Amino acid sequence: MLKRLLEYVGFEPGRLTARWISASEGAKFASTMDEVTDKIKSLGPNTKMRDEIL
Amino acid sequence: MMNLTKQIREQAKKLLEEKKVDLVIGFGQGTELARTTPVFIDSPEGVSALTWGPFCANNLAKYLVDYKNAPGNVAIVVKGCDSRSVIRLLDDNQISRDKIVVIGVPCAGQLEWQKVADEVKPDATLKETVDNGDSFVVKTSTGDHTFNKKDYMLHRCLVCENPNPVIADFTIGEELPVKNYAERFAEVEELEQLGLEEKSAYWDKQFSRCLRCYACRNVCSVCTCELCVFDQMKPMWVSKRTNLSENTVFHITRAFHVAGRCVDCGECDRVCPMDIPIRKLNQKIHKDLKDLFDSPTPGSKEGLLSALGEFSLGDPEEFM
Repeated sequence: MLKRLLEYVGFEPGRLTARWISASEGAKFASTMDEVTDKIKSLGPNTKMRDEIL
Repeated sequence: MMNLTKQIREQAKKLLEEKKVDLVIGFGQGTELARTTPVFIDSPEGVSALTWGPFCANNLAKYLVDYKNAPGNVAIVVKGCDSRSVIRLLDDNQISRDKIVVIGVPCAGQLEWQKVADEVKPDATLKETVDNGDSFVVKTSTGDHTFNKKDYMLHRCLVCENPNPVIADFTIGEELPVKNYAERFAEVEELEQLGLEEKSAYWDKQFSRCLRCYACRNVCSVCTCELCVFDQMKPMWVSKRTNLSENTVFHITRAFHVAGRCVDCGECDRVCPMDIPIRKLNQKIHKDLKDLFDSPTPGSKEGLLSALGEFSLGDPEEFM
């Protein structure tokens, strides 16, 4: 739901990833993290909501 | 409409006289012809302040929260959309059922007061309003005006789902048929069609206007936290700074916080002094809830769990 809302206000699809991974699924965790970092690197730096915070 | 006003007054008077309630919350004529103001009546003599018509846009249900710990019972005048708020407040355990008396009034739609005020002479006084099915006739001291519902109604009323209150101890007047003048999610779909950059630009333009007055939060009948994260100073979860980034955070957080509980009464949209289409955020969530979980509008039935507070094995699992 949040992912859809974020895309609706103009965030790139893939900027947010949510995955359910059990503590016993080490390999799945590692491969998911690789996918996420690759995805984020290909999207480049986020420009939305990046103003200086107080 | 005069007839309905009379019946509401009689009902309120009876409740106060019989000491069933100590307070009646309803609509009273405002200082301008096309506006009403919430009135709080605690004596049978005061009921003449109550009124009814196509200018009763406010959702009064939020006021019930103020009386949840006060002694005595409260009666409230609700439209169909407001009655969803009442159900939601009951289901959220914000108020107890035996403390409130719901006076439900089937609603033929609410006019946008600005549009009406533009056409009626400023010194005119209201005589009567008549519902003619697809239009309202507003009779004033300076002449009669006809307002087409399609053009003059509040946007939310064009896609009204419950003209008749879904919860009521007393129903005033006749039940009305559901009549829609637009597609419920047409505007959301239009926005969804836009490209990423366009969507981003559209919302940036909207959010950058936000004053952070929190009127949308204060009016919302499901925003009932006693301490709001946006007010908290220690720890300060969210910056108080008013800029595009922080405003975006505020609006996404606010919309998501009421996801699955928002009854789509459209009050956030109506009260925004900067005309930010806040309801379009909530409508997007309504649309997704419908698409993904086939869930009905929150508050449209008693005892519905919040759509995001419920789990069934058949739920789509996009995150597995």
